[in-house]
Amino acid sequence: MTNIYLPHLVTIEDIVEETPDVRTYRLVFQDEKMRESFSFRAGQFALYSAFGAGESTFCIANPPTRKGYIETTFRRVGRVTGTLADLNIGDTMGFRGPYGNWFPMDSFHGKNLIFVAGGIALPPLRTVIWECLDQREKFGDITVVYGARSVQDLVYKRELEHWNERPDVNLVQTVDPGGEEPGWKGKIGFVPTVLKEAAPSPDNAVALVCGPPIMIKFSLQALGELGFSDEQVYTTLENKMKCGLGKCGRCNVGDIYICKEGPVYTTAEVKNMYPDL
Amino acid sequence: MLISKEGLRKLAEKLLGEGVQVAAPTERANQPVYAALRSADEMALEHQIARNSFKEFLFPQTEVVARFTISKGSVHLASAGAEFPETVVLGARPCDAASVASLRSVFTWKGEDDRFFTGRQDKAAVVTIACTKGDGACFCTSVGLAPDSPQGSDILLRPTVSGGFRAEALTERGKALVAGADGIFTEGDEELAPVAPPPAAESADVERILGWLSDTENYKDALWAAHAGKCVGCGVCTYVCPTCHCFDIVDEGRAFEGERRKNWDACQFDHFTAHAGGHNPREKQSQRWRNRFMCKFHYYPTKFDSRGCVGCGRCIRVCYVGLDITEMMQKVTTKAAISAQPSAKS
Ligand code: SF4
Ligand code: SF4
Ligand code: FES
Repeated sequence: MTNIYLPHLVTIEDIVEETPDVRTYRLVFQDEKMRESFSFRAGQFALYSAFGAGESTFCIANPPTRKGYIETTFRRVGRVTGTLADLNIGDTMGFRGPYGNWFPMDSFHGKNLIFVAGGIALPPLRTVIWECLDQREKFGDITVVYGARSVQDLVYKRELEHWNERPDVNLVQTVDPGGEEPGWKGKIGFVPTVLKEAAPSPDNAVALVCGPPIMIKFSLQALGELGFSDEQVYTTLENKMKCGLGKCGRCNVGDIYICKEGPVYTTAEVKNMYPDL
Repeated sequence: MLISKEGLRKLAEKLLGEGVQVAAPTERANQPVYAALRSADEMALEHQIARNSFKEFLFPQTEVVARFTISKGSVHLASAGAEFPETVVLGARPCDAASVASLRSVFTWKGEDDRFFTGRQDKAAVVTIACTKGDGACFCTSVGLAPDSPQGSDILLRPTVSGGFRAEALTERGKALVAGADGIFTEGDEELAPVAPPPAAESADVERILGWLSDTENYKDALWAAHAGKCVGCGVCTYVCPTCHCFDIVDEGRAFEGERRKNWDACQFDHFTAHAGGHNPREKQSQRWRNRFMCKFHYYPTKFDSRGCVGCGRCIRVCYVGLDITEMMQKVTTKAAISAQPSAKS
């Protein structure tokens, strides 16, 4: 019997402590065949389980261009994420996925890309950023505007350094006022403000925005003022999910089941939804 | 083809003898409920409709989907549920029979086949007894069904004037059931008892309702809070509803050994959509009630291409603050009629 709720077993191969409460796990399928056959698209998510505690939904944070493993970044907030965060290298977790839709990468070819992320919401864009960097010639300019409350809250610090050094990436890092530290070389200010200052051109461009609701709201406003149309701006929606398969009935925004029909949408699509966010 | 009341009892007895699970209306704690028969004598067919639906035989309230053991850091995981019982629902009502297709439409949506449902349903037959009347809460006729509608039934039994039933096998499964029950079904015909369909909920028009619900602007209409303000979020309406399909997936057990379960859940509960970070997109109870209504009359028909409400009236009978889904259907129909008038828009 095909059991759509049965996870695959994965081993934690590596752990990065991103912030005091955010961790990135590198996971490898225990089943050799799965390791070879598994594929996904940038923007998709999965359900990760700590056996005995339950399942939680996070995106797949590594790019599809890097095969053989899965990376995911999550914050310790509740029982399941707490139990997951207590695991160590070599421990076993459950994985179901990939689920959901993805960014239309082919349609981004030749375009300038603007990534806008806040706090713990960089992971769903990190997958896209690396997919682009791994096929750099297919895309135009790449701008990343990333901010967090404080320097400590920035995730993927080593990668930020790497992007900062690359001549083919324009990285703008910022922390909220008061979140800076001595030696901080980035900006100080909220993401939407910094985005407006960076003033990326909407010509032949798409913007991808992920972050807390308030940041998204004002970043979309800023992009609008810069001349971006709603069709040029993508975001990912989040809701509580249990099945990931369009059955448990809880991730819907009005008549849209995010787990099956999302999580990737253009702003134009989001504006057409029932006000159920 | 005919079958008598005694014939039905014999059919139940025969099936039980063969080890088939027979789900039928019984009396438990003075309430009519669908239950798995322990003996054929438990069948209680004189009630209008059971308090529960029989969905629990296809979609159990709690069900193990996987078992795991953890030792020395390694996890052993085993899928559950390869075998499902042969089941016959005996004495279903036409509304409930019709609801099976609705649940199936969700549990097979977009090619994702939940075998815990379909595996059970594939081994189940539904023998329905048509109604001759409704009670005050029935409204099958408002959702396109009828007291004798055949949808979802493998065998439909229509009451005759003598107190027996005229039987019609509608599917292969139904025919096989008849073929295996020699002597219980008899040749012949008899006059049917007169049917008094429940009056359609006054001016409740499913098409009009769908049109009004499809306008995202109406999601903010004051009608929702006004109608559903008194809902206390107990969730009972969803538990008794034959088409409510929401569930949770939880781990239970001891530290090193446990199971993953699929448990009924309800969109009426406040934690249902609450994010771990605290935000809740459906924070108010009236928003949760709206979700249930939208699900029945918009999401089911447009997404799953099936009927979200079969008009069984159970949610009306059980709601102890007296919320009546047909009242809202009427209010929406009225609203839709008003907003359809060009003068009201300008
Ligand atoms: S919504 Fe109410 S009347 Fe409709 S099928 Fe469910 S319980 Fe029955
Ligand atoms: S409508 Fe009635 S039965 Fe349903 S949750 Fe609200 S109070 Fe409970
Ligand atoms: S997560 Fe279950 S329906 Fe979307």
